[in-house]
Amino acid sequence: MSDRFQYPNDREARSAARAKALEALLIEKGIINATTVDTVLKVFETRMGPFNGAKIVARAWVDPAFKQRLVADTPAAIAELTDLPEGMAGAEGEHMRAVANGEGVHNLIICTLCSCYPWPVLGLPPYWYKDPTFRSRAAREPRAVLKEFGLDVPTATEVKVWDSSAQIRWFVIPERPAGTEGMSEAELAALVTPESMMGVAVANAA
Amino acid sequence: MKLQHYLGGLESLGPVSTETRVFVEEWEKRIFGIHTAMMALSSQLPLPATPSAFRTVWTWADLRKGAEAMNPFDYFKYRYYEKWLGGICGYFVANGYITEEELEARTAEYYADPDKPLPQDSAAPAAGTTIDQRVERYLMEGDSPKSDLDIAPAFKEGDAVHIRNVPSIVHTRLPGFLRNRSGVVETVYPGAYGYLTDTGTDGIGAPMPVYCVRFAVEELWPGNTEPNVTLYADLYATYVATAA
Repeated sequence: MSDRFQYPNDREARSAARAKALEALLIEKGIINATTVDTVLKVFETRMGPFNGAKIVARAWVDPAFKQRLVADTPAAIAELTDLPEGMAGAEGEHMRAVANGEGVHNLIICTLCSCYPWPVLGLPPYWYKDPTFRSRAAREPRAVLKEFGLDVPTATEVKVWDSSAQIRWFVIPERPAGTEGMSEAELAALVTPESMMGVAVANAA
Repeated sequence: MKLQHYLGGLESLGPVSTETRVFVEEWEKRIFGIHTAMMALSSQLPLPATPSAFRTVWTWADLRKGAEAMNPFDYFKYRYYEKWLGGICGYFVANGYITEEELEARTAEYYADPDKPLPQDSAAPAAGTTIDQRVERYLMEGDSPKSDLDIAPAFKEGDAVHIRNVPSIVHTRLPGFLRNRSGVVETVYPGAYGYLTDTGTDGIGAPMPVYCVRFAVEELWPGNTEPNVTLYADLYATYVATAA
């Protein structure tokens, strides 16, 4: 879309200067501290991020009973996992639901009104998810959209599209890839991408 | 009618972006951090007071209202965090925290010298809960909209329902493509859910049941969708009515 519009050549330099000016004024006026923005960003580097979702999915792959509980009551199942950081029911994760891909079913999470995303387990939404073109098209033609991500979902597989229009935050449990039988949970978690947990990709073995 | 409320199903937009980064410019991280701090310091939250001079309400609803109030072509023109930057600067000016003139003057300084450092805090942190502690606590605890109010849901799983076309003006959580359509209740969520703000004639704000409703895409876009697709949307009870 953006090639249809004219932008000034210094588009980013202007925004960078304005963002820095705003932060400076907020610090000087005592609204935030000089450390506050970095404090926020550090939470998303260390505590809330897709590394948590990947661990949850890997556990679901090795423990079918856990996977069932994860789908039936997502927050309670996540609370069972003691190796996750504090805050798994925190901001934008107060009410989460997981849906599982499987034989004949592929799930896709969207937010046609904005960009609702399960922060504690997936961190912040990637640009593709926030883009109005994706949000518009994925509702009516999800298979065509998935093809543009390189994912071919056969017509025989039902595509379930979940629009996050209220307060529930959704994520997908992708299918465990073939050829991963001997892998540890940590090795399995490394195969799980944010895209696979939103449904525009699948988890791959290599 | 706002195009931003009717994005689902809009046609002829061209290929999707497959950009997997969260931030594509360093400055975007700063405006994200400012927004999140504002949400954490927002005055309606039951969190410990801090020395922050922020004394008003800022929630997702305020950010969304700003984006939904934009010229729809500008909404497509500007990247995600460009919209945030515009909306958040506008809020601080409109609420008297800063003036447009000082923001312009400071912007010119950083434009001329992008490496000029940010200022330091003017005073040593006061005793009690610091701003950063409250921000971290907000992120860890969240702000659940769920209420224990015992409101009996009007529908049960499997019920056929009609989606109302409520008069939304400033803000809504009812996607346009579902208005006046029929669906089937897939899930009745336990409890009741409030919304961050009162949307007036649109009808949300006070706690009410929320349903996950299932739609056949062939009924949403007859002859103009794909086979074997089902669409689900979480909808506040005020949007959901008895099937005709």
